[in-house]
Amino acid sequence: MAVSDNKKDFVRIEPKESFGFFYDQRVRSVVYQLLTAAVVGWVAWYLVSNTAQNLESRGMNTGFGFLNVGAGFDSYFKLIPNEPGVGTYGRIFIIGALNTLYVSALAIIASTVLGFFIGVLRLSNNWLVSKVALAYVEIFRNTPLLLQVIFWYIGVFSLLPKVKKSIDLSGGAELLLLNNRGLYTVWPVPGDQLWMTGLALIIAVIAIVFLRRWARNRQSRTGQIVPTVIPSALLLILLPGAVFFITGMPLDWDIPKLAGFNFVGGANLPPSFVTLFVALSIYHAAHMAEMVRAGILSIGKGQYDAARSLGLREKRVMSLVIIPQAMPAIVPPMISNWMSTVKNSSLAIAIGYPDLVSLFMQTSLNQAGYAVELVGMTMAFYMFISLTISWLLNIYNKRIQLVER
Amino acid sequence: MAIIKTEENPSPVSPPLSETSILGWIKKHLFSSVFNSLLTIVTLYIIYITVKGVWTWGIVDAVWVAENRRECFNISADGACWAGVISWLDSIFYGRYPREELWRINLGLFFLFVWMAPLWLPRVRAKITIGLTTVFLYPFLAGYLFSGGDKGIFMQVMFTAAIVCLVANTIHAIVGLFTGGSLPEFLPRLFGKKDAQEKSRRTIFLATLTLCFVLVFAWQMNWNVARVPWTKWGGLFLTLVIAGIGIASALPGGIILALGRRSRMPLVRVLSTSFIELFRSVPLITVLFMATTMFPLFMPEGFVLNKLVQVIIAVCLFNACYIAEIVRGGLQTIPKGQFEGAHTIGLGYWATMGLIVMPQALKNMIPNIVGNFIGLLKDTTLVSIIGLFDVLGMLRSVGKDLPWLGLHKEPLVFGAILFFLICFAMSKYSRHLEVKLSTNHNN
Repeated sequence: MAVSDNKKDFVRIEPKESFGFFYDQRVRSVVYQLLTAAVVGWVAWYLVSNTAQNLESRGMNTGFGFLNVGAGFDSYFKLIPNEPGVGTYGRIFIIGALNTLYVSALAIIASTVLGFFIGVLRLSNNWLVSKVALAYVEIFRNTPLLLQVIFWYIGVFSLLPKVKKSIDLSGGAELLLLNNRGLYTVWPVPGDQLWMTGLALIIAVIAIVFLRRWARNRQSRTGQIVPTVIPSALLLILLPGAVFFITGMPLDWDIPKLAGFNFVGGANLPPSFVTLFVALSIYHAAHMAEMVRAGILSIGKGQYDAARSLGLREKRVMSLVIIPQAMPAIVPPMISNWMSTVKNSSLAIAIGYPDLVSLFMQTSLNQAGYAVELVGMTMAFYMFISLTISWLLNIYNKRIQLVER
Repeated sequence: MAIIKTEENPSPVSPPLSETSILGWIKKHLFSSVFNSLLTIVTLYIIYITVKGVWTWGIVDAVWVAENRRECFNISADGACWAGVISWLDSIFYGRYPREELWRINLGLFFLFVWMAPLWLPRVRAKITIGLTTVFLYPFLAGYLFSGGDKGIFMQVMFTAAIVCLVANTIHAIVGLFTGGSLPEFLPRLFGKKDAQEKSRRTIFLATLTLCFVLVFAWQMNWNVARVPWTKWGGLFLTLVIAGIGIASALPGGIILALGRRSRMPLVRVLSTSFIELFRSVPLITVLFMATTMFPLFMPEGFVLNKLVQVIIAVCLFNACYIAEIVRGGLQTIPKGQFEGAHTIGLGYWATMGLIVMPQALKNMIPNIVGNFIGLLKDTTLVSIIGLFDVLGMLRSVGKDLPWLGLHKEPLVFGAILFFLICFAMSKYSRHLEVKLSTNHNN
């Protein structure tokens, strides 16, 4: 029993149970957070108190009351009517925000379409075409957007001919005219019964959705493929078209006509708008093209081989196998590209397009003061847009993850 | 039957013509089908039109030597008037910096080159130290060279330290290049002690540094350069200064913000996240406007920040938030096992981050950081909107100069070429880095 005897000799050393107060993780966490709060709080207090003191000593007004005061200036491009002197600063804010959203929405659509197109060209088998697309991407990605905007404005859209010598983009029909006062285009004037055509359009879209669902169900039950592309296109054109003709074509076109020194009628987009739209579309299309290319290249070669060995034709390989898998890689950067389109539309200030920053952060700030409120509202607007977009992106990402599992 | 083949191999089939000859290549890549052929011809036509137009405008019909724009028109009405750009070349690069003081800018840039060159030399050791000194000491050297004037005592010390460091760096790099060793190893050999102990090596090294410091300090006390106010700074020089400070100070700030965003402490996390999201969701131009209109209100009365400092602070804050997201992305690539491993060997938070996680994460982040620098360099042109004469501001003032009134297109094209060369070279380099640094051999 030597073993048990020896056991007695061991003295179990008790671990030191001293509670090192500052070495406890929870305590430390609380202390660090309190420290952070104190520092941040002090900095915030310091800035706020300085600001209050400065505002007082300079006799500057504060508060949001100025939003109800008439602004003594007007924007030359606006989507809602406004009268200088009567229209308030609140209205100026809305005009600026709408102008920002208008140009960015159009630029987002154009850059996405153009970007997909260039991205596909970039992947073309044709060596020359893919190199031209590469040159496009590299040239527009590697020069500052502001420089491009100014170049389009000064170098192209300010050098356009005068009104009498307008360039006709519609090939002699005088429907789309470009001159140094901007772009003049025909504008639809809806008649009384146009809503019926719109209703027919909605019905056609719903019908197409049901048609495709039925076709898919039938394919998975019986294996027969029902062609849906041509029937849905026909449905989309014929049904609203028929209603449109039956109701007696309730749509007029307002055509720009030369009267005196300027065009009357139609819609007019100022050169600054056209410039910003073109510059944003081209710049962001270059980024978009790279995303599309990277997304499609991220799909492994095995997917192509497997799809072909199943007997799918080249078009179906793309539409059924490659693109559905590439979309999760394309969509998130694409949406952040849209976001930066909205942000970059603030470069409007360099060419005098009345967007939010230029109307509110510059003109209003010079006219009314209220620096803190104006800057805060402008930033809050952009933050709101950004948070909305990232919220949508999160929804998309969640859906993708569910599918992927 | 012999295992070894005795008869000669039948002559191998030569590769098909399409793989070897130029004509075959052209057929395969340009004219493989009717549609492709059409596409090629249309593209060739577009290229021809574009190249011809640019060539005639920019080279053939262009005017290179002229006194003013009128003379340009008289020589050639349709071509580019590069004479205006050429006569403004100095201003585009250096702004309105006094012409007799330009050597200071050039010297500063040369010092930066000398300082950073060892980072690219494979045999040189202690690259992290060199990188850190570039970020922390070089700005003082450059700052004094660029702005000049009287040095305060702090500036004197930092300026001296920077010069000593530059000299030590350079000698260290040369030593490393020839012997593969480091400066502390080399110094004792100079004094004939071949196998000095680690401790005595360090002593000798520090003593030499101190001696140099004293000597340089004595020298610089009587060495002053004329003061150049910041309003004279401009051109590409100013753009590089703003972007350089922006990237150098955004890096530490971004790392702290990213760590804060990943912190377990809710308060720290919420504060960092909202700070990052605030600045990432607004355009840079609004941040610049905020800096110029609101910073004066934030400061105590009588404390005046000049516009350049306001802009630099704004750019740093803005960029730090973008760097923070890059750092966060880099940290996410580090597997959890690395954190747990570090914990197991008893490292605390900062040791884990500084010794284990960051070195791995930084390597993943370098291409993105270079990409961010390219973006920052392009975005810096926005400062011309709020009235600083950076490179774009200078390019635009060519057309407002009396002899060259209305000459807008050529300077802008020149600026575009300039930016393209810089940004394209950097993006190619970052792609090269990405390939070089990737340890992932799966693909």
